[in-house]
Amino acid sequence: MLDQFVFFLRALKDQTGLEHFWWGNLVMIAIGATMIYLAVSKRYEPLLLVGIGFACIISNVPGSDLILPGGLFNYAYQGVALLIIPPLIFFGVGAMTDFGPMIANPKLVILGAAAHLGIFVALIGAKALGFTINEAGAIGIIGGADGPMAIFVTMKLAPHLLPQISVAAYSYMALMPLIQPPVMKLLTSRQERLIVMKQNRQVSRLERIAFPIVIGVLVNLFFPPVAPLITMLMLGNLFKEVLVVDRLAKTAANGLMNVIIIILTVAIGSTMAADTFLTVKTVEIVVLGLVAFLFGTGSGVLGAKLMNLFLKDKINPLLGSAGIASVPIAARVAHLVALQENKENYLIYHAMGPNLAGVFGTAISGGIMLALLGVK
Amino acid sequence: MIIPDSLNGAFALSFIDFFLSIVMISGIGFILALFPLLNKLGKIDEEKLRQGHH
Repeated sequence: MLDQFVFFLRALKDQTGLEHFWWGNLVMIAIGATMIYLAVSKRYEPLLLVGIGFACIISNVPGSDLILPGGLFNYAYQGVALLIIPPLIFFGVGAMTDFGPMIANPKLVILGAAAHLGIFVALIGAKALGFTINEAGAIGIIGGADGPMAIFVTMKLAPHLLPQISVAAYSYMALMPLIQPPVMKLLTSRQERLIVMKQNRQVSRLERIAFPIVIGVLVNLFFPPVAPLITMLMLGNLFKEVLVVDRLAKTAANGLMNVIIIILTVAIGSTMAADTFLTVKTVEIVVLGLVAFLFGTGSGVLGAKLMNLFLKDKINPLLGSAGIASVPIAARVAHLVALQENKENYLIYHAMGPNLAGVFGTAISGGIMLALLGVK
Repeated sequence: MIIPDSLNGAFALSFIDFFLSIVMISGIGFILALFPLLNKLGKIDEEKLRQGHH
């Protein structure tokens, strides 16, 4: 009788995940819990970190069927793997975004490319550390500070690195208010940070409607590999700007966007299983991501200073740091650093120009990279 | 693959990509600088658009 009872207990234990639990799972559960803590108590990107943290915890409980084929988390991951989710995020972002600052001051658009030197520093660093050229390219794109684009390029170049790259990209985006200001202050004088920008011109409705159509055509013509993302960004923006499909624009920007965020965060978190995540490569990718952000911020500021050598009306070089694509975090950081010097200097509207251009800069860099590496 | 999988390849990829990115985004900037010309085509009545939205 007792033997039978022990046999049943053992059979029951085999049905659970206890048999396969190891210290790595415990570490990843702690990482997931830390993400939720940062989201709740520090308000660091809560929309992203709550879902990622929870899915990370569940994915590290051995025996959980959710991440296995047929499980709900696995279906969410398929949305990312099949490149359905990233373009839909861009669709929602487009419906929320006012591209007026970018249209109004086109000369600042170049900062959207200048701030991407970090991509290439990280790419070369990754290659030097022994990653393949495709893996190095995917790691470099972290420096673009554009989550959906990082996921998109990674899925094309090195899908096995998705968990590390997406976590590094979104974590550093959340930490930009801590990462960027020291670099910005190091590379600018107080006099430069005090520069007040001239007010931008008004952008007409006709220009706002023409913008997504023109950009949509250009991107599909010149950068087909990344066209799905930018095309959807432009479709969302067209819905917003035409003013006649208000309810579609609101759905894209609110309801649909929220659903996509839930699917995306669960998908990313579900890839953070200890056996694939706790490796030296992960540490290297995280460090390279930080290098990319630091160099991107620096090159953007230096690019703005370089422009000032040729411009009659000087621009505030803090705007250069906003050329990193993370919208609107990078623009907000530039604005806040300027405010520290002069409480009347509101840079936010001006900073949105290079910030939005940074989205295109990352897409262009990613598109050229995919083309040069022969990936469609 | 056009670019070789080596450190030299990484340098080449970075240089070409950065240079072309600057050129391409400058092109977008140039096109945006022409946007005010669109206003010569006329003006859109925003109130009318808002009244008729679906």
